[in-house]
Amino acid sequence: MIIRPIILVVEDEPIVRLFASDIIEEAGFEVLQAADATDAISTLEERSDVRVVFTDVDMPGGMDGIMLAICIRERWPDIQVIITSGRPWPQETKLPKNMVFFPKPYRQDRVLETVRKMAA
Amino acid sequence: MGLSAGTTAMSAISRPKALADLMVLDTPAEQAFDDLVFVAAKACGVPIALITLLDVDRQWFKARYGLDVQETEIEHSVCRIEIDRAEMLEIADLTADGRTDCNPLVTGARHFRSYAGAPLVLRSGAVVGRLCVIDTAPRPEGLSELERSMLRALARLASENLELRRIAKVSERQTELQVALVEIGEIIRNSGDAGQMALATAAVVGRVLTADRAGLGLVDDAVEVLDVERDWTAPGVLSVAGRHALDEYHGLQAPLSSGDPLVVFDSLADERTLPNLALALRNGVRALVDVPVRDPGRTTALFFVHSTRPRYWLAEEIAFLRSVADRLEAGVARHRSEEQQRIVNGEIAHRLKNTLTMVQAIASQTLRSATDRESVYAFERRLMALSGAHDALLHNSWARADLASIATNAIEAIGFMDRVSMNGPPVALGAQAALSFSLIVHELLTNACKYGALKGDSGEVSLTWEIKSDGDEAGLMIKWRERGGPLVIPPARRGFGSKLISIGLVGTGGVDTRYDPEGFEADLRAPIRHLAKG
Repeated sequence: MIIRPIILVVEDEPIVRLFASDIIEEAGFEVLQAADATDAISTLEERSDVRVVFTDVDMPGGMDGIMLAICIRERWPDIQVIITSGRPWPQETKLPKNMVFFPKPYRQDRVLETVRKMAA
Repeated sequence: MGLSAGTTAMSAISRPKALADLMVLDTPAEQAFDDLVFVAAKACGVPIALITLLDVDRQWFKARYGLDVQETEIEHSVCRIEIDRAEMLEIADLTADGRTDCNPLVTGARHFRSYAGAPLVLRSGAVVGRLCVIDTAPRPEGLSELERSMLRALARLASENLELRRIAKVSERQTELQVALVEIGEIIRNSGDAGQMALATAAVVGRVLTADRAGLGLVDDAVEVLDVERDWTAPGVLSVAGRHALDEYHGLQAPLSSGDPLVVFDSLADERTLPNLALALRNGVRALVDVPVRDPGRTTALFFVHSTRPRYWLAEEIAFLRSVADRLEAGVARHRSEEQQRIVNGEIAHRLKNTLTMVQAIASQTLRSATDRESVYAFERRLMALSGAHDALLHNSWARADLASIATNAIEAIGFMDRVSMNGPPVALGAQAALSFSLIVHELLTNACKYGALKGDSGEVSLTWEIKSDGDEAGLMIKWRERGGPLVIPPARRGFGSKLISIGLVGTGGVDTRYDPEGFEADLRAPIRHLAKG
């Protein structure tokens, strides 16, 4: 049996989460889903085999995607992070190293290309 | 001195004000006044004649004939005797009068012996000093009736001259203030942020009023604190930037609630600043103007001007400051509403992007079973082009977008910037034209990638536009030219992309496409007045 790399999709909007999960799954990955940052962190605490986290920025629950990304960088430095948002990336903030940002709506072929590169 | 305390007190208050208002103290000699004292001395046959102005702690001579000092302590002034009676004062023998026999000007080398002075009375009734003649020899008979009337006449002329001089100075001042107001108007119009605007305005105010500190403080909703972000100060003067509790400033409460400016000439002599005197002096405030800025019914800010020395503020200067405060308030309010608009726009953009993402998700789910993945991607790219046009529109609050940035967004999404050259003047597109143009560029580019100049490695696209006057109607002409691609073969059927292109910029066509063997060409035309539509 082939072990497929595991990607965690963090998105509060169910339809968009389903869409993102689908395209990534169809591209040959195993997908885990989380509806907010707290949810994502519990998943990461439970299992150590997540390779890439694909997260939205604006989410309920007090912790947004940028804070989640920074937290992942500190606690799980080996996990790659892709951030997406309907807002432009804040001009005054630098994108943390080894992270990629996609403005919404994103082209699935480009997101997949990045996921493949990161999971390789 | 034989006068009721009431009269004295009233005049004592009004004289310094009236004098300050004349703006004459410590100014250089002027011919008109010099002539008057010369004529007075000659008319009365005396060696000394003076135009004396009675300040609080000194007498100062605007003009002097036969005397070598510019001012003396007020205690040595003969002119001040019975000044508030506003009548001629004559002392035939100064050595024999109890009020002057110990005066050093009389007992000393200056040898004053006899005196006559006519009051300088302004139109307001204020008595500011005297035109006096002094003899160094006793003159028991005093002045003759003719000499007395000449002295009175000359005193009236001197008073009149002081008033005219003031009017000329005020008019000069008003011109200066007017010029400053124009300068401030420019600053307010051109400032990028509210703090910078308030600071630059304060600097102009400080300069034109020769003040030591000026600035704008914002008053909170509860009217408890005053926040001064930055203030302008003269060299060596400390800033008062920071948060101030308003209950420490008792004198401020009345103007804050009434909206009238607080005007203090000297904080040591003003009952309104006395309760906060220590605070005022710690901040080096001897004279001040506080102008409340009112939003109907409520004070929202305070424009302040401080002087480290006591000073008189002209009514014209107060009016100027009120005007400055009003303009500043309007400017700050404009910035605030622009900031809010920016936030709202950002929020709308965010929601729009999320909605487009939802549309993408739904479409993708709907087309899951579609075997032709390419059509899913084509749909996605059109959605992207639309999203890019919204980005360009957002820059100008959805009012208009620049043609070049729309094209850039659409081309960058596909990634052929290096092979598409663009050239044309700035053209503003309304929302409808911007969205159409974005989709058209996207389709043209997609076709160029599939069949045209961008299919191979060497072809290029030139996108140019110009404004042309066609009769009396100005029109936009956009040219899409492909060169260097494979031989062009006209397509057998028109796809959705071609239909989208043929709709044109404003939905009414105006599109010519040519399948020239050298390269595909498209011309898009639209009247300028149709392009601005929202």
